[in-house]
This record gives sequence, C-alpha cells and structure tokens, in this order.
Amino acid sequence: MTRKSRRLWLACACLLGLGSATALTLNAFSSNIVFFMAPSQIHAKPPAPDRTVRLGGMVVAGSVRRQTVGETPVALFDVTDGQAAVTVRYEGILPDLFREGQSVVAIGTASPDGTFRASEVLAKHDETYMPKEVAEALRRSGKWDPRYGKAPDAASWDTMTVRDARKDAAGPQQQHGS
Amino acid sequence: MTHLPYIATAYGMTIGLAVLLGTTAALRLRRARARLAAIDRPARAGRREDQ
Amino acid sequence: MNATHSLVARTGTFFHRYANPGRFLRLGARLQPWLTWPAVALSVTGIVWGLFFSPADWQQGDSVRIMYVHVPAAWLASSGYAGLAVCSLLSLVWRHPLADLAAVEIGPVGAAITAVCLATGSLWGKPMWGTWWVWDARLTSVLVLFFLYLGHIALIRAFDEPQRGYRAAAILGLAGAVDLPIIKFSVQWWNTLHQPDSITLTGAPTMSTAMLWPLLVCTLGFTLGFAAIVVARLRAAVMESRIRAALSARRGRGHAATGGAQDSDVRGGAVA
Repeated sequence: MTRKSRRLWLACACLLGLGSATALTLNAFSSNIVFFMAPSQIHAKPPAPDRTVRLGGMVVAGSVRRQTVGETPVALFDVTDGQAAVTVRYEGILPDLFREGQSVVAIGTASPDGTFRASEVLAKHDETYMPKEVAEALRRSGKWDPRYGKAPDAASWDTMTVRDARKDAAGPQQQHGS
Repeated sequence: MTHLPYIATAYGMTIGLAVLLGTTAALRLRRARARLAAIDRPARAGRREDQ
Repeated sequence: MNATHSLVARTGTFFHRYANPGRFLRLGARLQPWLTWPAVALSVTGIVWGLFFSPADWQQGDSVRIMYVHVPAAWLASSGYAGLAVCSLLSLVWRHPLADLAAVEIGPVGAAITAVCLATGSLWGKPMWGTWWVWDARLTSVLVLFFLYLGHIALIRAFDEPQRGYRAAAILGLAGAVDLPIIKFSVQWWNTLHQPDSITLTGAPTMSTAMLWPLLVCTLGFTLGFAAIVVARLRAAVMESRIRAALSARRGRGHAATGGAQDSDVRGGAVA
C-alpha cells in the first residue's frame, strides 16, 4: 500500500509542478494571449503605424457613418471601451451582426492621424441569449436600449416567453408588474 | 442572408457522427459477443466430455 | 500519514471491486439499456426542440440553433477528457486494468466529440463573427485539447507491449488535464473573440429559459449517449481480451497436447 500512496503523491506533485509551470508561462505571455487591445490601450501606447493590431470595443451609438467611394462601401465608426474612443475606417461589407452598441474586433493599423484603418471587422456577440420578441418588448418598455450597452439583469427577463412579449406588444398600455 | 446551410451542416455533422459511433460500437459489441459465445460453447462442451 | 494510507487503500479496494472484468460485464449489460434509450430519446427531443420549437435570438437570429449542438459537444469534450484523466490516475497509481481499457475506448469518442465542437463552432463563427477561425485563447485551448486526444490515441497503441503504451498514455492523459482549467477560464482571464460563459455555477444564466431547456435536454442526451457508446465499446473490449486469452490458452494447450501447429480459428475444434 505504501507504494500505491507514494505513486499517488508523486502523481499529485508532478501535476502541481506542471500546473504551476503552465500558470507562470501563461501569466508571462498574457499580453500576447489577449486577442485584442482596448481603445484606451491604443491611446496610452500607440502601436507603430506599420504594425497590424486588433482593436476591440463597443461601437458608439450614433457614430456610424456610411459612405460609398466609387463601388466600395466605406464605414466610419467609433469604438470605445468606456474610457477612450478610436475612430475606425473600414472599406468593405460589415458582418451581419454589426450594429451600434455591438462589440467588434477590428484588425488593421493605427494611422498617424488617429484613425484606425481596418482591413477586417469581426462582430463579437455577447453571452446574452434572448428571443427576438423579448428583446423587442424590453426595448419598447424602455428597460433596455441595445445601442447603449448590455442587457439588464438576466433575472428580470429570462423567464419572459415569446407569448408574454407578444401579449405585451398587443396592449402597449399594460405595463409589466416588475 | 440566410444561415440555413451553416445550421444544417452543423446538425448533419453531429447526427452523422453520433450514428457512426453508435453503430460501430453496437456492431463491435455484437461481434465480440458472438465470438466469445462460439469459443465458450465448444470449450464447455469439451470439458464435459473430458470428465 | 496513516489516514492517507488507509484512504488510498480504501479507494483502491473500491475501484478494484469494479476492476473484475466479469463484474463489469454484468454491470455493463444491466446498465446499457438505461443509457442507450434515454440518450436516443433525449437527444432527438432536444434536437427537434432546438431546431423547430425554440425562439430565434435577438441578435443572432436562427443561427443561435447551432448552440444546441455546439455547447453540449464542448462540455462533453472537456468532461470526456476529465474522465480520461481519472482513468490515467487510476492506471498510474492503482494499476487498474479496467481503467487502461477505458482509456483506450474513451480516446476516440472524445476526439470525435471535440472535432464536432470545433467544426460546429467554425460553422457558427462564419455567419456570426465573420470568420471561420481565430487564434484566440478559447479556440486555441480547445484545439490543444483535440491534439491531446489524438496524441493519447496514438500513444496508447504505439507499443507492441500494451502495458508500456498504457503507462505512457496515462502520463500524457494526466498531464493534459492542465488544459481543462485553461479552456474553462480562458474567456475570463483574457479578452477573446469568443463570448464569456452564459451558464455558470455561481450566477443566473444570461439566457432565456426558452433556450435553456432545449440546451439542457440536448446536453443530458449527448452525455448519456457518450456514456452509452463508451460502455458498449468497453464491454466489447473486455470480451475481446477474453477471446484473446481463451485463444492463446487453447493454443498453449494445443501445443502441449499435439505438439504441433494449432489453427487460431474460433470454431476449429481445438479441444476435439
């Protein structure tokens, strides 16, 4: 039995050692593991103009301007992390999920004039899963505007069904209890 | 833009793989059981003859 | 020290009760229908519910339905590997023979479900994020898990002498368990393109119950299905090892009796 417990302790010790080695490595490289930089980080330490970086943040409500230069659509919008904002210029078709208030990741370079020239824009959806009708009901009742941030506390809507939301839509005067 | 092809492919792939794993496991089990029975039977019969 | 010794001993005895292959075969045969049929019923219910009766998402529309196969596959990929790591520990510490056979059988099933997780994730990412693949922490750590499965499958079959393969693969299986917390917490520790978990042990799920129910039904169905397939494969593996043992014993007896060549055919009456 002593041999068995020795093997158990040995296995635990090896796992612990390996675990802490991995933790230290990941900690040391954590700035390389992050998928994107926030606008405030870009402001604080502007990357070299020839370096491709990923910029992540929320599209500021009311900041999206769409133009067409020749044949290609051009979009200009501000991306913020709540502390700073960066204007992004992107030529091309934006992903379906792109909207004001949506989190996006733009891949490109920071040009010297302060705008970020994106070669690719990825939409990042959040962890809120909500039926369309419920989102619509929340928006109509003024509890949530998707353009200005995250959904309200899940407990306030996660049991609301599509039928509740439709009933709500049929009689807009009736207010929800809570 | 419709995303139906993506949804259909995802479900098709999952169901296909589940069916594949399930049937191979079932067939393997059936074969092993049949072979084991075939070995056990003459062995037992032989032992009885020995005694 | 004494307490830990007796604990180690007792754990060993507990697992060794089920190390007996005959006992496992009886238990497995009793268990099998209770795993298989609920798995089929729940998976079919969950998939039909998710595909046709659950609501479309406010931002993702119908594409959210990929969640009902992707998320259970992702959970199973991790918990399957946790099972593999437990088998590895049982093999390394207690030299549990059934744990070795279980590790052989869990590997391919786990690799398959991890492949499903990666593929469905890709199929979900293209229409939603706008890309098939990114090298963010969550996606990369799951890819590492897939390679760990593949490495385990290759290593456990790489040696002529099975015991050496079991030992080497068990070390890999246990060491690879370090990847599991990285997968789990990657979306909290680093900013990723992948969204954080909607369902956590601590907080309320940020998901409508109309979507949560089909997800849970699918998860339960897939998990039972995983267990059913592993148990069926393990039963087959135990039977196959018995067949091999019987054949080699018979060959030995054949050699002793006739001193000549003995065919390995099952029905070739070796005792005649």
